[in-house]
Amino acid sequence: LSSWLPQMVPFRGSHWQSSLLGLRASLLMRAQPKKKKKVDVKREQAQKDRMKKKIKKLEKAAPEMIPIEDFIAPLKYSDNSRVRSLPPLSFEETERRVLLMKKWCLFKQKQDKAEKQAIQTLVAAQQEALKELRLESEELYQAAIRRDEGLFPYEREGPSYSPPLPGYDPPEGKCVDITKVYTQ
Amino acid sequence: MLCLMKGMLLKQVFALSRAATPRESHLCAAGGALVSCHRHYRSRPTHGIGRFKYLLPKEAPKKKKDKVQMKEIDVGTEHEYGDLNIQMTSYDMCLVEHFAQYVHRLCNQLSVRVKESYAMPTKTNEVLFLEERGSKMQLDAVLTTHQRVVQISGLSSTFAPILLEVIQSNQPEGVHLLVKEHTEADFKSRLKSRPELEELLAQMS
Repeated sequence: LSSWLPQMVPFRGSHWQSSLLGLRASLLMRAQPKKKKKVDVKREQAQKDRMKKKIKKLEKAAPEMIPIEDFIAPLKYSDNSRVRSLPPLSFEETERRVLLMKKWCLFKQKQDKAEKQAIQTLVAAQQEALKELRLESEELYQAAIRRDEGLFPYEREGPSYSPPLPGYDPPEGKCVDITKVYTQ
Repeated sequence: MLCLMKGMLLKQVFALSRAATPRESHLCAAGGALVSCHRHYRSRPTHGIGRFKYLLPKEAPKKKKDKVQMKEIDVGTEHEYGDLNIQMTSYDMCLVEHFAQYVHRLCNQLSVRVKESYAMPTKTNEVLFLEERGSKMQLDAVLTTHQRVVQISGLSSTFAPILLEVIQSNQPEGVHLLVKEHTEADFKSRLKSRPELEELLAQMS
């Protein structure tokens, strides 16, 4: 069909084809595979738009922090009916307590002062050492001043109350994580 | 207020009617509503009477709910460390709280800038152990792990080992210390998870 003139050549279904404008549309409507492609693309596009809208809506809401259970007091402790009634203390007892508190305060103050003094001496010694190093060699001084990349992450377990028992055989078991998962 | 106004009006009307002639009286009565207003003119000594807001202390502007945004992570220079997280973990909450307070105060005293001091969500663990003669798992205890974080920034490279030494020497038993650099992942772990959003994002890509 090299020279196909729409007006001249009558095609098979021409008796129910009145206008030329509907020609293209009718041909496409009859070819089934082409119809699916168009509608699919539209549907997919609509789906994608809907998803994008949903994502935008969810993203608009600011992210929330997980509530810390430590700071929420359980309701059973807010009950005011339980009141502790302590016996009255004797004069000697109160005096003893007050004097003990004073001694403890003095002890802690001395401890704190000693700590601060120790820090100051450490810093002073460090500064003096760096000064001497600078006099020795500039290169080493610069290298010493630079920050240590291998220092962090730094991990340390706290001291234990007693050393580990020799030959202790722990029972078999497992740990199950039952932390409450919060979702937004 | 209305009855006051009315009373004022009536008084005004009577005053005007007494002063003016009967021909003008209805005119004054008509303009009575305009004449009897409560404005104190700037030239009058009563100007500014009733003002009191300027005497009250300035109240902070009403803050809207601040969006939880991540603060900028400082990387640090050659001689200074950036944002560091001092994380203290323990099963004992009071101990870890007191230690965190101590570390915070220490940093304040040593003029190390403390950016943030917060608590991480509590983790709960159920410890089960296998009975000696039996195959059933027995519940031993329910342990809660508490973690507190003190975030510092601008720590100089020469002072860092001294600070670590002091913190270590005061570390109580049972408290696990971890000092590491602050990352975005650390911040994200504090936020609630959004499974729907993640699902949709996974579907999209």
